[in-house]
Amino acid sequence: MSTFGKGTLIDRRVMLLGTGAFSALGAKALAADAINVGVLRFVSSGGLYLAIERGYFKAEAIDVSLTFFEAAQPIAVSIASGDTQFGLTGISGGTLNLAGRGALKIIASQGGEKKGYTGNLLVASNAAFARGLTSFEALNGASVAISQVGSTFHYQLGQIADAKGFGLAKIAIKPLQSLPNMVAAVKTGQVDATILAPHIAGPLIAHGDVKLIGPLSDIADYQYGGLFTSPKILTGNRDLAVRFVRAYVRGLVDYNAALMRRGADGRPVEDDLAVKAGLEIGKYVYPSDPPAEAARKVIAAAVYCDPTGKVDIADIDRQISWYKSQKLVDASVETKAVVDTSIVP
Amino acid sequence: MPYDLRPVPFRGGGFAPKHLRFFGPATFLAVLAYWWIGTHLGWISPIAMPTPMEVARALIDMVQTGELWQHLGASLQRLLIGGAIGGISGVIVGFAIGLSSIARSTALPLVSALFPIPKIALLPLFIIWFGIGESSKYATIAFGVFSPMVIAAFGGVDGVDRNLIRMAQSFGIPTRDIIAKIVLPGALPALLSGVRIAASIGIILLTAAEMIGAQYGVGAMVLASGNLMQTDRLIAGVLILSALGLTVAFLIGCVEKTVLKWRG
Repeated sequence: MSTFGKGTLIDRRVMLLGTGAFSALGAKALAADAINVGVLRFVSSGGLYLAIERGYFKAEAIDVSLTFFEAAQPIAVSIASGDTQFGLTGISGGTLNLAGRGALKIIASQGGEKKGYTGNLLVASNAAFARGLTSFEALNGASVAISQVGSTFHYQLGQIADAKGFGLAKIAIKPLQSLPNMVAAVKTGQVDATILAPHIAGPLIAHGDVKLIGPLSDIADYQYGGLFTSPKILTGNRDLAVRFVRAYVRGLVDYNAALMRRGADGRPVEDDLAVKAGLEIGKYVYPSDPPAEAARKVIAAAVYCDPTGKVDIADIDRQISWYKSQKLVDASVETKAVVDTSIVP
Repeated sequence: MPYDLRPVPFRGGGFAPKHLRFFGPATFLAVLAYWWIGTHLGWISPIAMPTPMEVARALIDMVQTGELWQHLGASLQRLLIGGAIGGISGVIVGFAIGLSSIARSTALPLVSALFPIPKIALLPLFIIWFGIGESSKYATIAFGVFSPMVIAAFGGVDGVDRNLIRMAQSFGIPTRDIIAKIVLPGALPALLSGVRIAASIGIILLTAAEMIGAQYGVGAMVLASGNLMQTDRLIAGVLILSALGLTVAFLIGCVEKTVLKWRG
């Protein structure tokens, strides 16, 4: 070092460079894990976004790059094909079938319905509401738009039909393939009702385009989202999965601390802590909105996520037997083949 | 001049491909054998492709539960009604283009502009115009069938022997009879090959038409199986669609044999 020797400043700089190079080397030895994660631009993935923004993955020496998808199903397929290593997506008939065949495993939870928290809403078209479709019971005999056969919306309709005791066969299910189609169909009264995520339903209800019947969390608690990975990673690179989940759960804890608090009026608390998380998540979920607006939307639409990331085995059991009873999931699919609880016990 | 008296062998045999009876089934069997062996020995992953046995079981299951007839019934109704609307109006417009200068100058460019439009892209509009019920499904199939039938019909009319028409006109035969007795039979072969193409396009569009709001139908079933990653039912549905195409082609072949007997 003294060969540079023109005083302490340079020496210090060189020393800094030296330590910089050393730590870079050290990090490089650890940071071999560059992984691809498949996600939707949904607030339910907020835990993951916070973990990225707050450097929790970096701390576990994982370099996360995100691949954004437009629909839930392709995320599961991309994990099965090895294009992504992890994915946050819905627990649907399709993902359960893939998991049952050994292509995927659920290792932690994501979003869900829980009483008192923001969640999916059942909405009616104005015409159907005027005709008396104002309660869950009145869905008996109505036509309802869903995205796809075997989707989480399909399951939630089944939950309503079971809870109100009229059976799903009494509902005319209209699969319309996409969210915009569902919104268009209920706005124009071509279907009587549909189930929508809160961030989509909110503005529609406010504009008077549709009428609110009720939140799905009134029907039952339901874990509809999961963190998926491939069995290959669980056996071949288990350490990576453990570190990934550790960082993800830290994000979930922050998400809960910031966004799951309710004021005296039962509405989400909107203080600095919430706005900070809203800004961080908003970047990913509403990238084209101004940051303040995006943060406000995130706070309003933050659905329930279990802070521990624990998978509710009993609920997954219930879901699988319902899908089986509707012949949407193969009879051979078993809960223990679908879920791996060894990382988040 | 010296004459070259070498014998000249006959060389103008052409390619003349003949129908070899057992090669068709053998090709299918070879594909089936490859599929069977591949899935059983594991070169083909069970996630990528179900085994032939699983597909057969899915098909049998659909027959036993009566699900198959529900799907086929819904799809055939859509194909027949949509196909009839599109086919009949296509033939009428095609004949008009073939026979009248005004129709040729106005309708032909319009049809040529309509033909390449992907009907699937118009689906959202069809839903606004016709709703998510059966009408939008008929419309999708009718639109798809219309253009090829127009082109087949006016091509057929153009291909009718001009001398026959001129002779009939010289003998003072009424135009109605000329159309019914000379133009229509003369255009029939082209019309029937048009039906072949239109029927296949109709079956392709069936899946698109059943994307929106269809609870039953082979296309809806294929889509739902894809969403559910039930690849055995997916392949079973694709086989049903392809069997539907084969059946339609066979029926058109039978019609051709009886209706075109006069050609000798």
